[in-house]
Amino acid sequence: MRFSDILKMCLDSLRRRKGRTILTVLGVFIGCVSIIIMVSIGAGMRESQDQMIANMGDVTIIEVYANGDSKLNDAAVENFRAIAGVTAVMPKASLGDYSVQLFAGANDRYYAGWGNVTGVDASALEDMGYELLEGQYPQKGEVLVGQYFAYNFYDSIMPEGKNYVDRWVWDEETQSYSEETPDPFFNPLTTTVTMELRSYEDGADTPPACRQELTVSGITKEDYGKGWETSEGVMMDIEDMRELLNTLENTGKTKFDYSEIYVKAENIDAVVDIEQEIKDLGYYTYSMQSVREELAKQTRQIELMLGGLGAISLLVAAIGITNTMTMSVSERTKEIGIMKALGCYVKDIRLLFLMEAGSIGLIGGILGLLFSILVSIGINLYSLGAFGGGITGELLLQAMFGGEGIARISVITPGLMVFALAFSLVVGVLSGYHPANKAVKVSALEAIRNE
Amino acid sequence: MPEQSEKPVISVRKLRKVYVMGEERVVALRNINLDIARGEVCCIFGTSGSGKSTLLNQLAGLEKPTHGVVRIGGVPISNLDENELAAFRQKHLGFVFQSYNLLQELTAWENVAMPLMFKGIDEPTRMLEAKKMLCRVGLKDRMNHFPSQMSGGQQQRVGIARAFVARPEVVFADEPTGNLDSKTTKEVMHMIRDFAKRFHQTIVLVSHDPEMTEYADRIITLIDGEIVSDIHNEVKPEIDAGIAMD
Repeated sequence: MRFSDILKMCLDSLRRRKGRTILTVLGVFIGCVSIIIMVSIGAGMRESQDQMIANMGDVTIIEVYANGDSKLNDAAVENFRAIAGVTAVMPKASLGDYSVQLFAGANDRYYAGWGNVTGVDASALEDMGYELLEGQYPQKGEVLVGQYFAYNFYDSIMPEGKNYVDRWVWDEETQSYSEETPDPFFNPLTTTVTMELRSYEDGADTPPACRQELTVSGITKEDYGKGWETSEGVMMDIEDMRELLNTLENTGKTKFDYSEIYVKAENIDAVVDIEQEIKDLGYYTYSMQSVREELAKQTRQIELMLGGLGAISLLVAAIGITNTMTMSVSERTKEIGIMKALGCYVKDIRLLFLMEAGSIGLIGGILGLLFSILVSIGINLYSLGAFGGGITGELLLQAMFGGEGIARISVITPGLMVFALAFSLVVGVLSGYHPANKAVKVSALEAIRNE
Repeated sequence: MPEQSEKPVISVRKLRKVYVMGEERVVALRNINLDIARGEVCCIFGTSGSGKSTLLNQLAGLEKPTHGVVRIGGVPISNLDENELAAFRQKHLGFVFQSYNLLQELTAWENVAMPLMFKGIDEPTRMLEAKKMLCRVGLKDRMNHFPSQMSGGQQQRVGIARAFVARPEVVFADEPTGNLDSKTTKEVMHMIRDFAKRFHQTIVLVSHDPEMTEYADRIITLIDGEIVSDIHNEVKPEIDAGIAMD
């Protein structure tokens, strides 16, 4: 028999037993909807986790700290660099015993009573993925400042209340902080910035141990994965910092341990292995990826549990299909006998019944998927507050496809769609397996038998 | 006659069929040896319980014999597996059933076209062939009727069209007129003979009705699973009136 003829027979037969077909399809429909919605909620959890972590910065960076006897020195930097999959290693240092005050503008008009100065390896900045908003990577003697560096400054000639620019602007309309930030008092790239260092042991009133003008070569994009200083601090080349400290201490000591070392992996997948290797060297490490893995493991468990709950209803539906098909075979015993007597191949009869069962599964799956998508959009619209403020086209798109900073409750991925359809088809065909075998075993003699 | 020098279409040797029902063994066919020539209309006659239906089942390959062999066109069909048997039925065998056995959900032409569908012939060709056959059996106006919309005689004519549509070499007819009145019986039997003679096909007819024997060239009588008589029958000229003999 031609495939098209078998398909036509199969659909005819489903149509003929409309009531029963609809009820059986309904079973698959319910099972499919429950699986899709359950799994989509699991995927939604994953989406919000991923978003949370993405907000935290570069996930390919491993932060390494000293642990007990392990030392963060140049030898350690070389060791880390030798690990497979590492694209860059950058030591970081701090000014240790010195507090920092910063001044900017003519006559030190703008001042910040507090400053974070971090020593970084200027030659590794680019490889580490430090992004610049303006300017360029620093040469010797130059520094970078963080994205919101200039907001730390007060204007010394303005009265209280007007001497500070708050970059957090509350927007009453959207009930959130505005995306737009007001301009700070000055642009650090074009303004003279001066740093004063004082030993913590000396009071604030004592003259500074050192006063040094900073040449700002660029402004970094805020990235918490690389440290707070990318947001509000000053990044100075580690060699410059070493020289500065040597001058201050006047001790001639040229070696100092780093406060931490950043190791960048070539991609997310490499992070876990590299991190393990560094741990094995006796260091303490921290990475977004290890946090993420832990969270993902939990999500997977929840997802599996939710999917399992959904699967139970699909199992019930599968039993429904088997029941319907078995009934159908019993009713059509004579028909099958006649078909066999007239020369219908056994494989065609089997295919016919498997296709009927598979069609019930697939139809249920398709309808279930469509309905689930509607339900999913509904849930997301609700969570986005659309039912209070009205449904806009933009909200609808966000509910369907998500977006920057949007965490949906229910996420139906293309993979889940394909899986749902394939799964319902497979469940249908498997449910039809036993009835189809029963049909195949019907004897051609049934055609002769008279009731 | 030239047919007699030809090899027989159906050849049965030492055929034996025993049914085991619990402790009891029922011998339905004892030892059947039989040759049927091409173009013969052969009636297997017997009362109920004589084993005639069992013999038909063996001849048509619907059941496996306990012992012995059935050959059709030289092929030992009693040894074929189900798949080979299906292919063989498509090519060489046709069936007319007592209760017509049309599929209720299919129209007249779809029922007739069914054996062609099993062969994998495309729908336009099937439809054409089926409609030609329906014209021959006088159901030109009933092509798209469902079995439930037709009388018994009309249904059986659809059954006959279906049996002959693939031009099989052998057509088995199991009490084909068992459910019909005497007038319709005549029409139906005339039609079967007409097809057989026109296309030089062999008919194996099973009946308990002595009237049926009038339409057969050969009458084989069965009692208790054994052939008790095998006679040649000269069909009355009026029965074959109007039938073209090649």
